[in-house]
Amino acid sequence: MQVKQQGPLTGLRVMDVSIMAAGPWTGALLGMLGAEVIKVEPPAGDGTRWVMPTQRGMGTNYVSMNVNKKDIVLDFKTEQGRRDALDLMATCDVFVQNFRGGVIERLKLDYESVKARNPRLIYCAICGFGETGPLSTAGCADPIMQAFSGFARSNGVPQEGVEALRFTGFIDLATAAVATEGILAALLDREVCGEGQKVEVSMLEAALEVQYTRYAELLGTGLVPSPRGSESAAFVPDGAYLGQDREIFITVHNESQWKGFCAALEKPDWLADPRFADNRKRVSHRQALSALIVPVIRSRPAFWWLRVLQRHGVPSSMAHHFETYRHHAQILANDMIARFDTPLWGEFFVGGLPWHFSETPCSVQAPPQSGEHTQEVLEELHGLQATVEEAK
Amino acid sequence: MSKGLQIIEFAQGIAGPMAGARLVELGASVIKIEGAEGDWLRGAAPAMPDNNGESGGDSASFFHLNRGKRSLALGPNPASARALFDALLHKADVLITDRSDEELRALGLEDLCEDAYLPNPRLVRVHISPLGRHGPIRNYQGSELTSQAMAGYTRYLGTHGQPARRLGADVASTGTGMFAVQAVLAAIFARGRTGKGQRVDLSLLNSLLSMKSIHIAAQCDPDVYAGPRVGGANFPPERGWKTRDEPIFFSFGGSVGAEGRPGWVEFVKEIGAEHLLQDKRFDHRGRNSTGHGTDVNALRQVYEKEFARFSADTLVDIIRKHTGNAARYMRADETVAHAQTVALGIVQDVPGRDGSSQRVRGFPVRFSRLKPQIQGVAPRLGEHTAEIARDAGFAEDVVSQLVEKGALRLVA
Repeated sequence: MQVKQQGPLTGLRVMDVSIMAAGPWTGALLGMLGAEVIKVEPPAGDGTRWVMPTQRGMGTNYVSMNVNKKDIVLDFKTEQGRRDALDLMATCDVFVQNFRGGVIERLKLDYESVKARNPRLIYCAICGFGETGPLSTAGCADPIMQAFSGFARSNGVPQEGVEALRFTGFIDLATAAVATEGILAALLDREVCGEGQKVEVSMLEAALEVQYTRYAELLGTGLVPSPRGSESAAFVPDGAYLGQDREIFITVHNESQWKGFCAALEKPDWLADPRFADNRKRVSHRQALSALIVPVIRSRPAFWWLRVLQRHGVPSSMAHHFETYRHHAQILANDMIARFDTPLWGEFFVGGLPWHFSETPCSVQAPPQSGEHTQEVLEELHGLQATVEEAK
Repeated sequence: MSKGLQIIEFAQGIAGPMAGARLVELGASVIKIEGAEGDWLRGAAPAMPDNNGESGGDSASFFHLNRGKRSLALGPNPASARALFDALLHKADVLITDRSDEELRALGLEDLCEDAYLPNPRLVRVHISPLGRHGPIRNYQGSELTSQAMAGYTRYLGTHGQPARRLGADVASTGTGMFAVQAVLAAIFARGRTGKGQRVDLSLLNSLLSMKSIHIAAQCDPDVYAGPRVGGANFPPERGWKTRDEPIFFSFGGSVGAEGRPGWVEFVKEIGAEHLLQDKRFDHRGRNSTGHGTDVNALRQVYEKEFARFSADTLVDIIRKHTGNAARYMRADETVAHAQTVALGIVQDVPGRDGSSQRVRGFPVRFSRLKPQIQGVAPRLGEHTAEIARDAGFAEDVVSQLVEKGALRLVA
């Protein structure tokens, strides 16, 4: 499949030798931004090809993490494979790897070994716990980092202890998002100084980045993030309330929304109650206010509250799931989910582009088959090498 | 090239300010424009203690998300500030805003609502909304929590049919903040080639769905409806494995092929659970009984019976020694104090206001060349109104007139 790009990174070339999720989605994001991304797989293939569930035999995880790429197969354990890898790296602007500690050095594909060959290369290394420190070589995975980073300790309800997010992969994708920030910053720096650099990203730092506000509370005031069910430490009201039929999710950020909330619930007297005069006071009187709100919301259907709260400009929604959000007019109108067909594995939906550029529009492209571009890329590479040799 | 970027941040809450904060650290200069009441995150809980230990000021989240910026406060009649907006946008490289097109039009800034911004074609404009630029409910209000619910995240916590739970981390907002940084940097990169700025749209809901790609793909048309990526919403709460003290998560499976990790055999021997080697339920060297293996819930208690003799930290060390992955479920304060976090220098002490010292997180990426500058002072509401207006070419008497008209507000 020919990958046509017109995003903001059009003209850049990325070599992505990563596997699983955090590295591959970094490559995918760069591909969605328009770069030509060449995924290099070992002969055995990226392990996510077999992670359950599969669709017509292909790991759906693999499909979602490897959009907008070309795919070649190289065996780094052979001399030819390693030479091809180095030759390819010399033609690239960005290199992405997430090998476990020590492996990349054994392959002699670490930054120190390769930077002389391509000083303009942005070399992105992704790992679990960082490249220094006592856990620098420890293995990691999404649920491990949920545990280590405090992420799981702020979910659930206090009396039940920890609760991890059962939707795994979120920390992986957050790591890819942080890595992409770093790569883009390094690319802009290269525009000025002409040099590439190494960009180190850990799942640990990404896990803290998605907890930015909780860590701000901890570092700023000593408040340790703790589970609060559906409520937050920051705002009141901010939680799920049970209507006559189902739950509705409601947040009040500011005083204008508080006025709207009281109007929607037909409780103008709450506005005059000094206990609820501003958000901090409402947080201090959380239980008292909740005791007032719960029976009111319980008295009418959630759909009623949705209408009346929206009318008054108060953030509110129902919970959705795959079968409802994938057909939701709002989600479709903004391409928040992408759809494509694949020749062998059928129709797929994946997460849509996170950004929508007006002048350099991006798109989501189906992933290639294993080794689909090996011949094309290597022929070009060997042709280039032959030209270089002749010129010598 | 991010160094020296002039950014106007007309955004409040978490997502837009988070992008601004990270871009400040990369060398950008950020003017934060706030409404008369100030960014609503200032009033969130908990509040930062002031120098006397009193806690009546801005929230801790506001402080951390707005370090290194200058604040310009609008007055009760912000439409009269149109000329100042024009002047600031004329000189700027980037606008980050979460004001809706409707709100921008009310300020006389209808030019900003188009794809191309003719008064300054080089301006990169990042628009952040709860629900997206287009569509039938584009003007509805949204929040972190409503985004989590709409994107189906709340289904992966708690128990189906029981009261919903949220993710404690503000994932929709912080995710959008990260994507907004990408949007700015990518659009500036493109501008370097084309000479043109552009509009980029992001939303909280969109960010969460983008980051749910693995699960969306899994649910399309799976060969078998099994595993956490399709059935996870109906699983019991995930609390890891109990030990003598705190729970842990551990895995000998993962990306290691069909037979699990060889270290599992040594691991069960070391904890004195050799009987598991003869137990047919524990074949494949822990692949199916650890991590997210298919038999985890059925066999959890068998491990827990053995783990009751060990502390979490001891077990984690043993598991890692035998090539498994493991971690104790830590609180955030324990994570900050952990030797690994300390070794990476993730938390730093930087100078704050009036000679104080502030503990803050560093930039989440380490570069071999770039040196992000971590800031320790956040602006008071309108602290720099007069200075920013003056820098934009407005004489002092004109600024006074704007204040009188209610267009601007000077620091209280």
